[in-house]
Amino acid sequence: MLLVIAFSVLFLIEARNHNYDYKKSWTVVYFNNPGDSSLGFTIENHQGEETEYGYEIFLNDKKIAENEIKIDAGAKQTLTPDLNAGGGKVTIEVDAEDLKYMIYKDIK
Amino acid sequence: MILSIIKLILVFPFIFILPGFFFLLAIFGKSAKKISFFERAVLIIPSSLILVDLSVLAINKIGIPISGIVMVGVILIISLLAFIIYQYRFGKKKIKPEDASEEIAESEKLFNFSFWQSIFIFFSLVLAVFIRTAYLSDTIVPSSTDLGHHMYWVQTIVDSGTLPNYGMPDFIIGEHIVFAVFNLISGIGVMSAFPSLILFFVNIAGIFTLAILVARLFKNRSATAMTFFVTGVLYAVSAPQGKYISGGVVGNIIGDMLLPVALYFLYRSLSEGSGLFAGLFIFSAAGLFYTHHLSAFIMIFSVAAIMAVYLILNIKNIFKIILQWIKIFFKPFPVAVLLLAAAFILFVYTPTYFEKSAIEQATGAPSKATRVGLNLDQIESNVGSARLLLSAIGLILLFLSLKSKKYKYSFAIGWALILILMTYRPGWMYVNIPSSRVGNYLFLPFSLLSAYALAEYFELLKKSSTKFFTAVILYTLLFFVITSGLSDSAEAFKVKNQYQEAVETFHSAGYLASSVDTAKDVVLKDHVNIYGDSWYKLFFMKDYKYPLSRGNLSRYIDPTKPRETCTRDMISKPLSPEGQACFSESGVNYIAVNAQIEGKSFEAYPGFSKVYESNYISVFKKD
Repeated sequence: MLLVIAFSVLFLIEARNHNYDYKKSWTVVYFNNPGDSSLGFTIENHQGEETEYGYEIFLNDKKIAENEIKIDAGAKQTLTPDLNAGGGKVTIEVDAEDLKYMIYKDIK
Repeated sequence: MILSIIKLILVFPFIFILPGFFFLLAIFGKSAKKISFFERAVLIIPSSLILVDLSVLAINKIGIPISGIVMVGVILIISLLAFIIYQYRFGKKKIKPEDASEEIAESEKLFNFSFWQSIFIFFSLVLAVFIRTAYLSDTIVPSSTDLGHHMYWVQTIVDSGTLPNYGMPDFIIGEHIVFAVFNLISGIGVMSAFPSLILFFVNIAGIFTLAILVARLFKNRSATAMTFFVTGVLYAVSAPQGKYISGGVVGNIIGDMLLPVALYFLYRSLSEGSGLFAGLFIFSAAGLFYTHHLSAFIMIFSVAAIMAVYLILNIKNIFKIILQWIKIFFKPFPVAVLLLAAAFILFVYTPTYFEKSAIEQATGAPSKATRVGLNLDQIESNVGSARLLLSAIGLILLFLSLKSKKYKYSFAIGWALILILMTYRPGWMYVNIPSSRVGNYLFLPFSLLSAYALAEYFELLKKSSTKFFTAVILYTLLFFVITSGLSDSAEAFKVKNQYQEAVETFHSAGYLASSVDTAKDVVLKDHVNIYGDSWYKLFFMKDYKYPLSRGNLSRYIDPTKPRETCTRDMISKPLSPEGQACFSESGVNYIAVNAQIEGKSFEAYPGFSKVYESNYISVFKKD
């Protein structure tokens, strides 16, 4: 009985904490297709509350787009920038309050 | 969630109790003539584990795919066969009450604890479980390196339905079968709490297996009760207890349960001249051989030392004793078990470490600084000051009351001495294994001696004419034992969990697994600064060595042989000529690193795109 209680408690603790959002506070930004030149990217909000993110897109260090987006707690938002520009290094900076994330890739 | 917990609770007894219960029924019948109810209850668990292991090896050999349905059927068939054997052997026979009653009483008497002893055992177990649970509550999310490696192989068995070809002697099949069977029957994934819970269960069962060995050796109920305290409560967090459970040191944990079982059966076969127990000794030794090489290695040395000590103590009757042993082991049952075990090893499944190079690697003069032995301070920190003190007292008391013909002395003394030698001066024993790993087994004979010391001291208190001074010494000793022995338990409540880091690691692994083409892309991840990284490979299930990994930096420096350094150089100095050559050679084009450490450095390196960033992990792609 002792072990049954201990095992049930530990199983429950593990299952809850394995969740991306339970008692956690983090964000992730990534390109949807890292292997090609597409610029679609996703922001996942695991901050534990609805968060307003701002993002800026740079082409060869020149800002070419910016916007703001609200994402619910535990939700994610996929964005597909439409750039009619030539090739170069595309950098996407995402921030929210004191958080800052940056991803970049070269497009042809 | 509730359904998973119900499955968890039901599958445990199905795997760990049912086959062992019927097996012991077939061996001993219902009678408590040879083993008491308590011993039977304890031995069911290791017996079940060994039977499940052997049955999986057998069905794999004949080509039956290992699946949930098959394993349910196999366990039921084993139980049914054992029940038929029981019916055949005992069904129609009646044990004459007058013949059996004396032996039954003798067996049961060993475990007929007084009220206060029962209370003491109960609270020791409550504390043992509570401390481990508290510690595990902050480490239960799968993240430990060893467990990650083991679970890769478990998942391989689950996915393929066959046993894996490891291609290396580091892994032993018995470390993985029971986890795979549990997963297949319950449907609960390996990336959950269940692998740690199995280890927890086996660890607690190990306390009981040592207790029945103590009970038989010393025939002292107080010593048996004390075993639960010194093994279960003292140093409950330190290795090889709580830390080994959360660390996923599978072979050691199972070995620590099976070693006392093997010695228990050996003791009973030698002291009672029983072929039945000799056969069970071979059975449990075979289980150990299929589970963990180091534990099997320790067992061989322990058995040799126990027998040598007994022969030295009875040097005048040496030939007579050897003849007696031969007679015991050449009875039909042990011979049949030995032949069966040999047939299994030769024709069904040969353990991966049964090869010349692996054996040569573990024996001979110590080849590294970590293998030349531990000094006394290291031994003290390994087993704990309190346990060391108590076992020294136990050893002295045993020497003072030495009776050469009694096996209990050679078992207790021989087991402790050989492990001390193997840890302190391994070169003398031609042992070439990391000394700290051998030292982790010291707690077994030391707990046995400690339990004996405490029990004897209480006896002395009862008999002493100057109770005051005896009591003062006893309580001073107990104060030291409790404060020292429980000091590590405080750690159980101070551990800061790293669950956020773990899930971020899993998320990045999931991202890469769904984004890359493993046929052409090669991923390198960092073990040094990423928590839970060894679980990465479970997201790909491509190969044990996929993705590549930068290991602990000390591993790249080996005085005995040159080591591969590319996995280090591609992260530590990717722009160097060595690093660039490594990229070309290995084809690595994705690198996962700690976002706050190597991630910041990589941002400055040309030729890399950063395709993923979380608070903890960054992933770079080589352009």
